[in-house]
Amino acid sequence: MTTTDMTSRSRIAAQVVSDFFGAYRRHDIEAMVEKCTDNADFSYVPFELWGKQRVLRGDGKVRTIGKVIWTGLINSFPNLFNEVHSVDANEHGDVVVTCDIGGTQQIAWALAAPQGKKFREPHLFLFHVDESGLIDKVKAYWNNAGINTQLGHLEVD
Amino acid sequence: MDMTPEQTVQAFLTAFQLGDVETAMSVVGGSVQADVFPLGVRAGGFDDLRGLLGEIVAAFPDLRVTVLNVIPTGSVVTVELKVEGTQARDYLGVVNQEKHLDLDEAWRFTVAAGRITAVGVYWCQGQLYRRLAVKRVDQIAIV
Repeated sequence: MTTTDMTSRSRIAAQVVSDFFGAYRRHDIEAMVEKCTDNADFSYVPFELWGKQRVLRGDGKVRTIGKVIWTGLINSFPNLFNEVHSVDANEHGDVVVTCDIGGTQQIAWALAAPQGKKFREPHLFLFHVDESGLIDKVKAYWNNAGINTQLGHLEVD
Repeated sequence: MDMTPEQTVQAFLTAFQLGDVETAMSVVGGSVQADVFPLGVRAGGFDDLRGLLGEIVAAFPDLRVTVLNVIPTGSVVTVELKVEGTQARDYLGVVNQEKHLDLDEAWRFTVAAGRITAVGVYWCQGQLYRRLAVKRVDQIAIV
């Protein structure tokens, strides 16, 4: 793991986010949420389901959209893991994390039927940690087609 | 005096926004490590990055690159941007159907001594395929 030279604020922010990923590894969603403000923003950019009359996106709040997605992921991939590669933070509370997330599919996830296949995909997470040490923004980018391909789901939904 | 990491990345982005690939690459180190995750490029090099920029610029002549957010964290600068344009020729194996692309991306740059030494590029290839009217990830050339 690489970590930038840090001020006190950046060090705290990096630690909070590292703890968040620790809770994620333990599948402790309540602990993940407790590290966030009540109104923390949430955006999983690739999370996008196109219907005939609407598009569902992974945007909203940690305590509503985020918690539901994390719960669903862990249900679908009971051995879900994350491996953090780098944590870079600044004195404004911004934290950038590179990691791999993966697991073995047991039940349906989005439109991907379970075939017992594994995935492991690089992710980039962007966090903001406020001055009280709570996360008030979670945003992530990854290649969802990479995950679907590894799971054997080849249709572009 | 060397540019700051943020200034170096800004120079790269400004040239990219203008479709000037060679000027963009002028601030990239010759031994840059380029990870273009959606394309399966890991530990690629200078030519991989130049090739990617060239493909984008050539395939979308009305390219618009909008920088949404710049996050400097020491030698690492992370940028959120939106890439928009109308496909005018085959792109990364996708047959041209003159579809409009709008794609949110994140680029994580590492800078040393005024040169980009590493870049990690993140976007969702599923979102790209959806906008370019591809139906299956294993049949991207079939329309």
